[in-house]
Amino acid sequence: MPDTRRGFHDELGALQREILEMGEQAGNAVQHAVHAVVFRNSEEAQGVIDGDDAIDARYLDIDQRTLETLALQTPVAADLRLVSAIIHVNLHLERTGDQAVNIAKLHLLTEDLPGSDAMREQIREMGDLVVGMLRSAMEAFDRRDLELSLRLPKMDDPVDRLNRASHLEALKLADDPSALDWGLHMNLVSRALERVGDQAVDIAEQVGFLITGEFREFTDASHEVELP
Amino acid sequence: MREIDVSSLSAWFGSKQVLRDINLGIERGSATAIIGPSGCGKSTLIRCLNRMHEEVRGARVEGKVLFDGEDIYDPRVDPVVIRRRIGMVFQKPNPFPTMSIMENAVAGLKLLGRLPKADLEERGERALRAAGLWEEVKDRLGDPGGRLSGGQQQRLCIARALAVEPDVLLMDEPASALDPASTLRIEELVTELKDRYTVVIVTHNMQQAARVADWTLFMLYGEVVEFGPTNKIFTTPEDQRTEDYVTGRFG
Repeated sequence: MPDTRRGFHDELGALQREILEMGEQAGNAVQHAVHAVVFRNSEEAQGVIDGDDAIDARYLDIDQRTLETLALQTPVAADLRLVSAIIHVNLHLERTGDQAVNIAKLHLLTEDLPGSDAMREQIREMGDLVVGMLRSAMEAFDRRDLELSLRLPKMDDPVDRLNRASHLEALKLADDPSALDWGLHMNLVSRALERVGDQAVDIAEQVGFLITGEFREFTDASHEVELP
Repeated sequence: MREIDVSSLSAWFGSKQVLRDINLGIERGSATAIIGPSGCGKSTLIRCLNRMHEEVRGARVEGKVLFDGEDIYDPRVDPVVIRRRIGMVFQKPNPFPTMSIMENAVAGLKLLGRLPKADLEERGERALRAAGLWEEVKDRLGDPGGRLSGGQQQRLCIARALAVEPDVLLMDEPASALDPASTLRIEELVTELKDRYTVVIVTHNMQQAARVADWTLFMLYGEVVEFGPTNKIFTTPEDQRTEDYVTGRFG
């Protein structure tokens, strides 16, 4: 039968493509920020900071369009869940972009300080993990893949472990105040990456809601959560 | 508690079957919306709930409709009594145009037998208040009903239906001929009425169903596709056909 709301459904499709592209943008920003730290590349760090305006502009555009869609089209059922998920994921991705900027700025603040290869290696590993998580969450969104979305909390475990060990690596630099200064800043980088991992889990929760209609937190800071 | 229990209900116009094996329970004091594309059997279904369907030549019903546990199609049951307890409001406001507003409100009551004038007027006022019309007409109760606006006329018809103190009010697209403000007024009224009456409303306007109904029934080709709490039908319907209909993927 013919789709009686084709214009509206075309717009929903366009919004979904926008959010997937924004996921790519945010993931790339984190990847470049981590790369800048690991390879001490200030130009790359500046590129991440400059590039955030594009992410913010997209965020505002998607936000405006979802609001208009709610006001003008009163979506229901799967359409409503998609609009709601886009609103949430949009915010998570904008925050992810901000974390990339934080990481890039932390590099620029410390670019002249001595550092440690061990800690840089740890940050590289965390970066790979969280960018992988973000891409998996967005892939689950694109494919409506519940199973993949449910894998995100497990993927977050090593990130949390590395983050908890980060300050110990920084303390190893205590003999040299300049290196320690760098290490303490890198501890903040680690924290920013841990937050990106959490944002990816939050996006996966939205995917779960989109598919099942039931919103549940995959992780809870104050309680153990059992997943199917 | 279920006030209306429909089981294995089928209906025909001549040889054309328009309802197929409908099973449905309607709770007392709830508002139920019936949605579905044109010709799906929505209006026929509610007309079967107070034996209006059989008024059409060649129309026929099979199955059971229990009202408070009693089968309304039992041969011993008087359809007039059923229609008093299960009232109906139609798409197009149909007040008696030359009768006064008050006479319109009590027109159904008068048919039930003689009542002292004071009683009639008291019940007329009560019905006009319940229909949310009293404040607008109390100073001109002697004016002809036909002089009211469309939205007021529809509320007058609702008052007429309420004056006989029914238990259930069936509404067949009661707002589809009204302007937006009158439509919202009727919707507001439905949410007030469902505290005292059981309301079943047929509507083409899905947002109206979403706004006023506790339960929503989706019909297609004379069958019930899905019946559930309205918030579920409009957020996570179970049947793909319901999903496709409410999201406008077919209409």
